[in-house]
Parts: sequence; C-alpha cells; structure tokens
Amino acid sequence: MHKSIEALVARLPLDFRVLYRQFLLRVIDLEALSIQADVVGFLGQFAGVLIMLSIIHAFRIYLFLGVETWPIEQYLIATMMLVAGLIVVISWDATFPDRRDAMVLSPLPVAPHTILFAKIAASCAVLGLSILALNVFSGLVCPLLLGAQHGTTLGRIQSFAAYWFTMAAASAFLYCSVLTAQGLTALLLPRRLFLRLSAILQLAAFGLFLGVYFVQGTIATPAATADPANQRLLAWSPSFWFFALFNQLNGSLPPQFSWLASRAWAGLGTVAVGATLALILCYVRTMKKTVEEPDLVPGAGGSHWAPNLGPPLQTALVLFSFRSLTRSRQHRVLLAFYFSVVFAIALSLLRTVLSAPAPILLSPDFYIPTLMMMSFAVFGLRSVFSLPISLTANWVLRTTQLCSSERYVAATRRTLLFLGVAPVWLVAALLSLSFRPFHHVVAHLALLALYGWILSELGLIGFHKVPFTCSYLPGKSNIQLVFWGFLVVLLVVVMSIAEFEQRALHDPILFVSMSSAFAAMASGLWAFNRHQAKSAVIYFEEVPDITIQTLGLQRD
Amino acid sequence: MLELRHVTKRFSSIPAVDDVSFTARPGEVTGYLGPNGSGKSTTMKMITGLIEATLGHIFFEGKPIQDDLIAFKRRMGYVPEEPYLYNHLSAVEYLTMVAQLRDLPARQSSDCIEGMLQSLSLHDDRHASISGYSKGMRQKVLIAAALMHNPDLILLDEPFSGLDVGTALVLRSLIQELAARGKVVLFSSHELDTVERVCSHVVILHRGKVVADDSIERLRSLMELPTLEAIFSQLAVEQDTESMARQIADLIHA
Repeated sequence: MHKSIEALVARLPLDFRVLYRQFLLRVIDLEALSIQADVVGFLGQFAGVLIMLSIIHAFRIYLFLGVETWPIEQYLIATMMLVAGLIVVISWDATFPDRRDAMVLSPLPVAPHTILFAKIAASCAVLGLSILALNVFSGLVCPLLLGAQHGTTLGRIQSFAAYWFTMAAASAFLYCSVLTAQGLTALLLPRRLFLRLSAILQLAAFGLFLGVYFVQGTIATPAATADPANQRLLAWSPSFWFFALFNQLNGSLPPQFSWLASRAWAGLGTVAVGATLALILCYVRTMKKTVEEPDLVPGAGGSHWAPNLGPPLQTALVLFSFRSLTRSRQHRVLLAFYFSVVFAIALSLLRTVLSAPAPILLSPDFYIPTLMMMSFAVFGLRSVFSLPISLTANWVLRTTQLCSSERYVAATRRTLLFLGVAPVWLVAALLSLSFRPFHHVVAHLALLALYGWILSELGLIGFHKVPFTCSYLPGKSNIQLVFWGFLVVLLVVVMSIAEFEQRALHDPILFVSMSSAFAAMASGLWAFNRHQAKSAVIYFEEVPDITIQTLGLQRD
Repeated sequence: MLELRHVTKRFSSIPAVDDVSFTARPGEVTGYLGPNGSGKSTTMKMITGLIEATLGHIFFEGKPIQDDLIAFKRRMGYVPEEPYLYNHLSAVEYLTMVAQLRDLPARQSSDCIEGMLQSLSLHDDRHASISGYSKGMRQKVLIAAALMHNPDLILLDEPFSGLDVGTALVLRSLIQELAARGKVVLFSSHELDTVERVCSHVVILHRGKVVADDSIERLRSLMELPTLEAIFSQLAVEQDTESMARQIADLIHA
C-alpha cells in the first residue's frame, strides 16, 4: 500500500511536488510559530486535540444514540462544519496567489495551473486530515450504531459511507463558499481594496461560523422539524441541509424533508462551480494584477491616531499591541477565536435579555457567562501576546530599551486591562441594565472587575516580555494539555465562583469577605509581579543568523 | 570618543571578530570597511549592545558602555544593515513609537518627525503601511529613527543601501555636517567612492581582524596607492577578480 502510494506520488510532476510541500507548510504561517517550534509536532498536537474530541463524541454517541438520534447527528455535522470553517479561516489566503508567489514564481518556468493545483492539494490535505482526525472514532461508532438499526451488513456499510461522505461534503461546502466569496471580491475590487476587505471578510467569517454554532439551536424530533416556526431556521442553516443529506444517503430521511437534502446538493454544486470559476479567473487575471498593483496605499487621506494612554512607554506599547492585533492576519485570527466565544456568550445573553420580560432577576445564569467572557478575553489576549509580529524587527525595542523592566511589565499589564478586561466589563455592564436588583448588579460588576484584574496578574506571572516580541504558543507548548486543562480548570473555577457569589449577594458579610479576598488576591499578585519585574531582564526572541540555508530538495 | 579595546566575538568558538581595537573621534567620520563576512555588522551590533562581546571592552567617552547601557543607548543612534521594521505600522506610527520609547517630549518629537518625513520625501506616504515601502523608503525611516533624538554617537551600517541618488547626496552631506557638529560617526559601507569622500579615517577589517587603521591620506602615502579602492583590494580582497569572473562565465557556459 505504502509502496503503491509512493509510486503514485513519484509519477506526479516534480514542480508540483516541490510546490505542494512548500504550500503545505505555508497553510500554517511559519512566522507565527516559535523559532524553536517543531512544525510537524505542532500539527500532530493540533490533530491530537481533534482526536480527543472524536473520542468524546464517540462516548456521547454510544451513551445517547439509542435514546435520541437526530440531535447527535446534527451536533456532529455542525461541529464538523465549525472545525472546517475555522481551518478555512485560518488558512484564509492559502489557495489564492499572493504577491510573494507572483514575484517568486512568475519568472520561473512554472505553469499557473501547477501552482493552482499545488495550492488546492495543500489546502485539501490539511482539511482532509482534520476531517479524519475529528471523525476517527466517532466516524466508526456512529455509522456502526446507526447501521445496526438497519439490521444488515449492507445497512452498516451504507451508514458508514453516508457519514463520511456527508462530513466531507459539509467541509467542502464551507471551503468552496469561502473560496467563491474571496475569488469574487478579488476579481471585482482593486487589489488594495481587496486586501483591506479580505481582512474584514476573514473576521466576519470567523464570527459567523462561531456565532451560528453557538446560537443556533437543535431540532430534536421529526415533529419539531415539521413545525412551521422552525422552517426559516431549516431553510437558511447549512448544517440542517447536510443533516438531511446524511439521512437521505442513510435511507432514514422522512420524505417531507427531502427539500432540505436538495438544498445541500444545490448548495454544494453552486459553491463548487463558483469556487472553480473564481480560482481559474484569479490565476489567469489576478497573478498579473498582483505584480502590477503595488500594495502601497497612498497616504493622502490617512490620519495618525495617537491618544495619550499614560506615560510615553505605556502609550507606545498599548498602541503597538492594538495595531498588531488589528492589522496582523495571524493575530486577528487567533484573537478572533477567543473573542468569538466571548461574542457568542454575549449574543446568547442578549437573546435571554430580549426574550425575557424585564426586569430579570440576577442569577448564576448571568454570573457564569460574564465570568466566562472575562476569562476567554484575558487568556485569549494573553496567549495572542505570545505570537510574534516580526522577530527581525525586535532590535528597535532593544536599542531603545531605556526604562526599567518594571515599567515594561506595567505597560503589558495596561495592555491587558485596556484591550481585554475593559471591553468585556463594558459589555457586561450594558447587558446587566435589564437585570435587578440593582445593588446586586453593581456588586457583581465590582467582582467581575476584580476577577479581570486577578486574571491579568495571573497572565503576567513570569511574562517579562513585550507583547508580540517572543513566541511560546504555538509550537513549543503542549497544546493538547493546555487546551483541555484550561477548559476543565476554567469550568470548575467559574462554577465555584458563581455558586459562592450567589450566596454572597444575599449575605452582606459574605460579600464583603468575598470581595476583600478578591481584592487581596489581586493586590498580592500585583505586588508579586512588580517585585519579580524589578530584577527581571526583558527577554526578546530573535532569529539566529543562518549560516547555511538548505532547500530540502534531497527527497527529489 | 568611541573606543574598542581587544574586542572579540566568537560564535561556537569560531571568531567573527578577532581582537579588534580602534578609536572613533568626535568631529570625524570613521569608515569601517571589509568584505562580506569580515565582522563589520557584528562589531556594530556589539557597540549597540544587541550582542555581547566574548572578550574585550567598548568605551564611550572613557566609560565602559556596559556600566550604564541605558545611558549609553540614550546617546546612540543606529541604522542597521538590514531594513527590518514593524511592517504593520505606518512611517509616522513607527517614528512616534520610537520617540515614545525614547521618552522624547511629544510636541518636539511630533515636529521633528514631520520635518524629517518632509525632508526625506516620505511625507506623502507617511500614513501608508511600511509593508508597502520600497527598500529605499524603509532606509529613510531607519535614518529618521536613528537621528531624531539628536544622538552623540551615530552608527551607520550600510546607510546608502537602496537610497535614490538625491537622498544619497543629502545623506552624504548630512553625515559630514553631523561630524562637523561634534558627533562621533562610525560608518560602514561597501561604496568605497563615498567612503573616500566622506571619511577622514578608515578601519579595514579582514577575516575579523583589523588590517588597517589610519587616515586615508596616510594610507595612500604609506602604501603608495592612488585610491581607497586600490588599498582595499590589496588588503582585503584575496582572489584574482578577473580570473574569478572568467571562471563563473565558464561555469554557466559548461
């Protein structure tokens, strides 16, 4: 098997193989990884997270499939679409020719279609591996149990084929949708405008995928599916189309819902044609346009926004962080992941506020989401700090390092408070306007602010760095451990705080004790970090000088 | 006065800079020359404090720079060999950030940045992202960032790289003007014509070692050679350039 694959690969043209390998590594932007990172290891860890999720799904299917089939099927398809959507967003520009490709490959005797096929092959390889990792266990258990309901071997095989085809089709639908949208904007707009709009589209897609996943409900029974009140949701939500497609292929779809499966087929066909046309036209037209139109945007209409955010050093570093977060693709995407969770929680809270008659009684249903929002915002921001923006440009921060390390750590703290804690607190304050009693709302907001301060100080322990100048995640740490560890610890901590807060809000002495404990913990951590920073040396990671650059062509 | 005494830098026991000693005085431009890989940029980086010397000492105005690196950095301006900048910022944002990091008064730095951008013909593109700048435009940003705090020591590592003729002529005069105003200027370049016009004193480095340290006039008379190029070829160029060119031409015709 392995030999026949190797023989098949060897028959592919050499230029395709070389480009495919290059593009495969560039689907994940190498500049975003630590200089000590092992790319293969990183991809392995990422696959590990998905495999772990697959094991959890498999257990869930085993326990509940006999009781209720439809919600689990919907959940699996929606989760597959979410993961595929996140991968498509992370590898946003990977399929289209960029300026680097145009400048490097145009003078070489490489046909545009070879570049196109190599790029598609690289993106599909990453997407395919993700589908495989996410379904490696659930993709066996679910079809086997569903097939058992058919009672025949043929039924099992049919379920198995239906499951894997649906997962691949749902992922392909998202991939092709994004390609179509990108291709059309690239074709219709001037390159400079496209570059700006592409960044906004990327964030919008991220928010859309996560928002839809968290906000859209499930429709558990055939009766609920037939309910006229749900028809609008069914008609516009692709996860329900592919859910119907799965059941159609599995032979278990009631005839009255075949229109949903038809939508899946039609949608898939439309975006496949759209993506093919967009890609061909882009490679024919945009490669030339990319070289002809410089990325430099004339600055006649620009302006320089420079608010005073404290002492000059702190202002400089807060603005540097803000600009890095808003202008760098990798940073935006990673932050968008965390902030989309914040956004999704805020949306679901807003839905509660709008649907319930005012005033609403304050309860853990409000404490838990706001505490979760704060946690995701601060830890998300702190983890994005570890994604370098340009290691080679760090020299300027080193040659202008004229203040004590304590002041650099203070600037990082201010960045966390300004860009992480303050926005979430403001959103929570706005949402809390519908909740009563008012003094409980004020008390919760005070505790939330202290909680945000504590999280910021926790994030600063051992962080003697300027944001975006060093790398830790991803690449060096064990993502598998950090991801699951963070989720488990966070859930336990937030639930405990919410439970305690519920009692404290009805007992003034308990509330004073709780807020004093929070304030003491925050001040203690602040004093600890300040003390540590005094003797710390601000660390900057730099790319070592390369003596010999290998091209890695020895395999060919 | 900048003084290097027996400075050595080794990378994994291989010496990149080997026992280098020289002095750069205020009021004169010191040229720092050498072939690729001779250790010029490594020396510059050691003077800026970006890398530490394995052996030896660097003094500025008689004091070891490591004794108070922060005070030294306040008085130093540096244009690195490669124009690495934070590409997501605009020129005005980058220069404002550097001014803030140097704790310069806001009003003064804002006027200075505006004036620099005008003088260096970057004003029209001041709000554009540096990622779209040409190499010459990036070089201009680096020059502005290195000079706006009025440093006493100016380290220029290939400052003419990518500059258009007009800006190069302005920079050449500027270097002489700054030296005339009492600054210490250490200037590294491969453009020997420019070095000959601008510098009064040159240090030539070959394989990490200083092979000449004198005024250009004295080197000419001592070596009985007419130009700096001839002096440099004799001291630092090992191969026969014409036969090397023939060899390359033969290779591509093989």
